[in-house]
Amino acid sequence: MLRQPLSRALALTSPTRAAPLAARRFAEQVQARPDNVEVFIDDQPVYVPPGTTVLQAAAQVGVEIPRFCYHERLAVAGNCRMCLVEVEKSPKPVAACAMPVMKGMRVKTNSDLTRKAREGVMEFLLVNHPLDCPICDQGGECDLQDQSMAFGSDKSRFTDIHFSGKRAVEDKDVGPLIKTIMTRCIHCTRCIRFASEVAGVDDFGTTGRGTDMQVGTYVEKMFLSELSGNIIDLCPVGALTSKPYSFAARPWETRRIDSVDVLDPLGSNIVVATRTNEVLRILPRTNEEINEEWLADKSRFACDGLKRQRLVTPMMADSRGNLTPCEWEDAIVAAARALRDCPPDKLVAVSGDLADAESLVALKDLLNKLGSENTCTEQYFPLEGSGIDFRSSYLLNTKIANVEEADFVLLIGTNVRFEAPLLNARIRKAFIHKETDVALVGPKVDLTYDYMHVGDSASIVKDLATGTSAHEVLKRLESAKRPVVILGADQLKTQEGSALLAYTQELALRLQDKLQDKNWKVLNVLQRTASQVAALDIGYKPGVGKVLEAGPKVVYLLGADAGVVTRESLPKDAVVIYQGHHGDVGAQAADIVLPGAAYTEKRATYVNAEGRAQQTLVAVTPPGKAREDWKIIRALSEVVGERLPYDNLDEVRTRMSEISPALVSYGDVQDNNYFAQARALAQSLQKPVSGKLDVQLKTLEDYFMTDSISRASPTMAKCVQAVLKQKQSPY
Amino acid sequence: MSARQAIQVGTKTVKPVLSSSQGEARSRVLSLYKAWYRQIPYLVKDFDIPKSDEQCRAKLKEIFLKNKDVTDIRVIDILVIKGQMELKESVKMWKQKGHIMAYFKPTEEPKPKDFLSKFFSSNE
Repeated sequence: MLRQPLSRALALTSPTRAAPLAARRFAEQVQARPDNVEVFIDDQPVYVPPGTTVLQAAAQVGVEIPRFCYHERLAVAGNCRMCLVEVEKSPKPVAACAMPVMKGMRVKTNSDLTRKAREGVMEFLLVNHPLDCPICDQGGECDLQDQSMAFGSDKSRFTDIHFSGKRAVEDKDVGPLIKTIMTRCIHCTRCIRFASEVAGVDDFGTTGRGTDMQVGTYVEKMFLSELSGNIIDLCPVGALTSKPYSFAARPWETRRIDSVDVLDPLGSNIVVATRTNEVLRILPRTNEEINEEWLADKSRFACDGLKRQRLVTPMMADSRGNLTPCEWEDAIVAAARALRDCPPDKLVAVSGDLADAESLVALKDLLNKLGSENTCTEQYFPLEGSGIDFRSSYLLNTKIANVEEADFVLLIGTNVRFEAPLLNARIRKAFIHKETDVALVGPKVDLTYDYMHVGDSASIVKDLATGTSAHEVLKRLESAKRPVVILGADQLKTQEGSALLAYTQELALRLQDKLQDKNWKVLNVLQRTASQVAALDIGYKPGVGKVLEAGPKVVYLLGADAGVVTRESLPKDAVVIYQGHHGDVGAQAADIVLPGAAYTEKRATYVNAEGRAQQTLVAVTPPGKAREDWKIIRALSEVVGERLPYDNLDEVRTRMSEISPALVSYGDVQDNNYFAQARALAQSLQKPVSGKLDVQLKTLEDYFMTDSISRASPTMAKCVQAVLKQKQSPY
Repeated sequence: MSARQAIQVGTKTVKPVLSSSQGEARSRVLSLYKAWYRQIPYLVKDFDIPKSDEQCRAKLKEIFLKNKDVTDIRVIDILVIKGQMELKESVKMWKQKGHIMAYFKPTEEPKPKDFLSKFFSSNE
């Protein structure tokens, strides 16, 4: 495994991090900090800890040294030589990215020697780089282009006297997401390092030496990773570009809008690039606390689903039961009549995966005004014990970024790799760089790192919680200084869900009470959807089972596409109103369809799995007659005769802050408490469990299409096909 | 320099358009108003517009009252001059029926103000 050699090779990490485990045991005691050393960058003194590289020291005084292969989140390779700088009393220029500082070192980043070295490196790179910038997708955001303008020579010595042509390399096929033009490759090996360190799929590598060197997968093979899109961003040249975005636009033509992703529960920060009211592509936006600078493939490539299968006009079922387009007035009046004529206890609202907090609040307010309390979410969560009364019971209390600090991670019934790919990347980062160990209770899945598989029976959790387990994991958990327990929310759907939650709470809090670090939180519940946390915060009841048994007359689906409410589960005369943006499962079952806006088309609040409220911004306008979701409910309320008291977004948000201030404190995440109370209330629920834990997303082909947007996306469909095809191949 | 002197210096530099005092400006406005008022029956008849004298007088009053908060004498004078030009164009029949009717804005639809009509009318 990669683990040991890499931690030794990492010059970036502090010496304490790379030290062997035995030495680290005392790391928390007061340690004599090694004195900072003084180095001079262009005669500016800077004090940095020993082990810092010249490049990092230069960055501290604001001197940016050009580089291709160096990337701060990957191991140092030092093979592009672009970062050569002159160091006084050194016979040769040194590679700044790999050279640790020494006391009194004098670095010259702009001397004649340095500039000549850079010019030479540029010249060599360009000898073997095609001059196809006009047809290259990287044009305008290409490091090689920019740096050859800044540091390259002003004239060329390249004359092809033998007319042999430039070096040419065959293109590789690595799947439907990444287009490779390998002739453009400058062998920086960033993609290789990303694949082996972050993605955990050790498929990339180099073959050959010198002019014959090639980056590739050795045999033709798809890059089977849920994080594959990131190598497009990492590639400093146009060798790896986005296949769906190829030849679509130049970066200077697009408008970029900061937003938040909603296709997984983590709420990764994104930039939406648009042109002519069309979403062209989605790129990650750096947020150290959530996604660092990575983005999962579904979040990145499912954006073409925003243009397909859209609901663009209100619709009503005609006499033969077919949905036919109509005007907003007709649809709203029909919906209002249905709501008004319905007895309050037969009126049900169900919210789906992608519902934003504003529309959730408006819908709940409307139903409460009509006298109904039946607002629920599709995802179930046990209501026994403390239920959803304490926020700590349904959130990732450790926080995504802190998972890196953990020394033992126990996963219960979750395939975190596909349910929250970037959380898995964090666990993997901890596993590789910090000796964190991982154990899994649940079906055996590929998490991209080694873990202890404890079994897939729910009784294991009971044994761990009561301390009767003989398994090694219990000992490891009890001796861990910062353990983390992550429970998949899908497990709570079953009959034994409440007992499983109770045992997990018991286990986590027993561990937490013994910790030295009193601020460390052990208990985590990983939700599956972007809307669930906000819905529970607002007071939606999880699960639709009970309200459906009561035989509702009117069902209001707010983007509920998971298929838990079907025509068959409802009485024959029930009226189904669907509000949402895609013609998916929910719209099929509906009598009245009200077209809403997708997450790129509205300014809306989403709360991620750790309880952090974030907002999306309007990148494009909703298509056709579609409207922002909370406005539809507000208009409906007036026609029903129960006018909601807000007319603009600010007033809705004031209402949200009345419900919970956490919903509008954007970017912040609060610490959760009341663990002990939740644990006390859960004591009575610790009944014997016998079931087996299973997860919905087992392999990569399950990951790509999970919600109404990704199901409508042709790119995601191609991915599923490609993964299935790859399974047939002998490699 | 006292405050009064400063004001005097300030007012000295401004060249009056027509009137040198508030009263003078006021009398110009009133005489313009009267001229229009007296002309209204002839305008209704000559242009054959589908409005009565009363409606036109109400419109006249509305248009004058639109500028009731203007206090700058020079601005008032300019407005009076423009009003006289309009009157002259009407009297001399340089205007046509449509120009007179334009004062009543017959084709302009009021913008929706409340939430519901905004929701139904536009992509709001």
